[in-house]
Amino acid sequence: MRAPAFLSFAAAFANASLLPLAGANAQNEYTVGVTAAMTGPAAATQAPVIEMLRIYVDRLNAKGGINGHRVNLLIEDDQAEPSKAAANATKLVRQDNVILLINSSFSSTYGPVIAESKRAKVPLWFAGAVCPKETHPPKADPLLFCSTGFDFSVDIPVAVKWIKETAKEPVKFGMVGIPVPISRIGVDNAEKLAASLGMETVDKEFVPPATADYTPFATKIKTAGANWGYAYAPWPAEAKTFEALRRLGWTGTYLAYGHIQAEDELARMADGGFYVFMANAMFLDNLPVQKEIRDVAAQGKYSFPATYATEGWITGRLLEQALTQSGWPASAEKVAAAMANLNLDTQGLRGGPLVWTADNHFRTKQYYRFYRYDPDKKSVVRMRDWLAVDVVD
Amino acid sequence: MSLQLVANIIVLTAIYALVSTGYILIYRVSRVLNLAHGELMMVGAYFLVATAGLFSGDPLLALALAAVCGLVMGIVVYLVLMRWMTGEAVLAAVLITIALGILLRGLVILIWTTQQFYPGATFGWRNPSVPIAPGVQISAASLAIVLLTFVVYAGLFAFLQFTRWGVRMRAAGQNPLLAEQRGIRLHGVYAFAWGLSTFTASLAGMLMALDSGVESTMATIGLKAFPAALVGGLDSLLGAVIGALIVATAEIAAIQYVNPLLSDVVPFVVLLIVLAIRPWGLFGSREQLDRV
Repeated sequence: MRAPAFLSFAAAFANASLLPLAGANAQNEYTVGVTAAMTGPAAATQAPVIEMLRIYVDRLNAKGGINGHRVNLLIEDDQAEPSKAAANATKLVRQDNVILLINSSFSSTYGPVIAESKRAKVPLWFAGAVCPKETHPPKADPLLFCSTGFDFSVDIPVAVKWIKETAKEPVKFGMVGIPVPISRIGVDNAEKLAASLGMETVDKEFVPPATADYTPFATKIKTAGANWGYAYAPWPAEAKTFEALRRLGWTGTYLAYGHIQAEDELARMADGGFYVFMANAMFLDNLPVQKEIRDVAAQGKYSFPATYATEGWITGRLLEQALTQSGWPASAEKVAAAMANLNLDTQGLRGGPLVWTADNHFRTKQYYRFYRYDPDKKSVVRMRDWLAVDVVD
Repeated sequence: MSLQLVANIIVLTAIYALVSTGYILIYRVSRVLNLAHGELMMVGAYFLVATAGLFSGDPLLALALAAVCGLVMGIVVYLVLMRWMTGEAVLAAVLITIALGILLRGLVILIWTTQQFYPGATFGWRNPSVPIAPGVQISAASLAIVLLTFVVYAGLFAFLQFTRWGVRMRAAGQNPLLAEQRGIRLHGVYAFAWGLSTFTASLAGMLMALDSGVESTMATIGLKAFPAALVGGLDSLLGAVIGALIVATAEIAAIQYVNPLLSDVVPFVVLLIVLAIRPWGLFGSREQLDRV
C-alpha cells in the first residue's frame, strides 16, 4: 500500500523496535511472505484475495496455528509494479527468511519475483493472479505453483467453443482486453481459435485500465458489426465496455470471465445478455462452506462483500494443508515437497478437488460454471453446471 | 466521421475540460501546479459514495452535499497545507501537492478499500441512454457532464469578469504584491480558488462515478486531463477547452482509425508536439511562463 508518509515511518519504527523479538519468534513460526497489488491498478481484484487470506490465517492462529506453531503472514504491497515486487521479494526472502512466497499481482511483476525465488530455492505460489506456464504440465517448475481460478490457456478454448455451441447465428466477435501481456495474448489466442472454428473477429479493443469514457471503444465494436462480445480482462474493463455497448443500443450477447466481483455485478447490471463463466461457485449456491465464509468475513471485518472472498478462502485452505503436510520444523524445501503432492477438497467452491502433483503445479482438472442474470426471475442464475476440462500439455 | 464519433469527442472534451478547470484556476491565481488534482477529483467522487449511502432516497440532496464537501475540501487543503507555502519557492508547493496526492490515495484505500462503487445504483438510477440525434446515443451521465461543463465555464467566465471576488482573483494572479497593497486579502483569494478548483473537480468525479462507477484508480484520469490544460495554456480557461478538444479528438481518432493501444499515449504525444512549438501552450501567456 502506498501509505501516508507518517504511517510508513511508524511502521518502520515499529519494525525496527520489534526486530529482536521477531527474530526470536521466527524460529517458532511458519513465516510466509506475500507480495501483492494491495493498491494500484490491479488492487480491485488482488486485495480481496489477500485480505481474506490474512483473515483465514488470523483464524488459524487463534485456533493454535498449524502443528502447534503460528503462521506469520508478511504482506508487502507491490502496487502491480515490477520494481516494487522485486524489492518485496528480496526483503521477504533475505531479511525475513520466508519459507514460502506468494505473489498476487499483475504478470509484469513475475520476472523478478521468480528470479528471487529460484535464487533462494523458496517455493513461489501464484494466488488470485495469472498462472505462469511454468506451473503447467508436463514438466512444472519444481518451485512454482498456482491456484488461481482463471487461466487463459484453459479459459479461452472453453469460452470460444461454448460460444460456438451456443450461438444461433454466424458469430461476429468484438473482443475486449486491456494492454497487459496476458490479456493481449488471451484475446489474440481467442481470435485465432475463433477463426479455426469458423467464427469471424470483426474488432479487438484493448482498453487502458483507467479510462474516462468507454464509449469510443464500444462505438468501434458496434460499428464493426459484432453480434457477440468476448472479454478477457480485469472485471472493470469487461463490465464497463459492455455497459457502454448497451448504452449505444447494441443488442448482442457478451461473455466474460467472472472475476470475484461478478456475482454482485451481474445483479447490479441486470442484463440477460451478459454471460460469465468462472472457476469458483457463486454464493447463490448456498453451500455450507459459503455460509462459513460469510461468517468468517463478518467476524474478520473483511472490507469487501463476502462474495469476493472465495479465491482468498481457497488460498487459505491450501496454505493450511501445505504447511500441515510439511510438518515441523519447517523449511522451504519441505514446503515445496508438500505442495508437489497436494489434494485439496474444495468443498464445492470449485467443481472438484484441486490437485498438485510433481509434474503439474496448476491442477489436473479445471472446472467452469456459467451464469447470467435472468430478467424473468430477477436474479442471477446458473446456466450450465460444472464443465470439467482435463489439463494436459 | 460519423455523428456518434462527434458525440464521443464532445463527451471526452467535456470531461477533460471540466477536470482541467481546477488546474487552471489554481495556476492562474497562485502559479502552483496542483499535481494532487486527480486525487482531489477522486475524493470528490467518493464524497458522493458517502452521501449516496446516507441519503439514497434523495439524490439531489446527496449530490449537493457532496459538491459542498468538494468545495470545503479545497479550502481546507489551502488552509492546512498550502497557506504555509506562501513566500516559498513554487517548486516546494508543487512537491507538497505530490505528497498530498500520495496521502489522499492512501486514505481513500483505508476508508473505501479498492472496491468499485456505483453511487448511481445506490439511488436506483440506471444511467439510461439518451438519443441526441438519429443513430447517436450517449449516457444520461455523459449528457450531464457536457451540460455541466458548459454551465461551469459560463459561470466562471461571468464570475471572473463581473464579480468583485473574480476581479480580486485575477488581480492576485497578475500581481500578488500590488494586489495585497491594494487591500486584497491574498489568503482569502487563494483559499477560494482552491475551493473552486476542488468543487469543479468533484463535480467531474461525481458525474464520472454516476456514469461508470468509482474506484481507487480514478485519480489517473486527472493525469490524462493534464495534457489538455497544458496544450491550451495553463493560465487560460478558453485554452483548456480548446486543449481538451484537441486531446480528445486525437485520442478518439487513435482509437477509431489507428490502434486503441495508442489511446493512452496520444494525449502526451500531442502535448510534446505543442510544447515543442509553443512551450506556453496555445492560449497561455508567455510572460507568465517566464515568471515560472
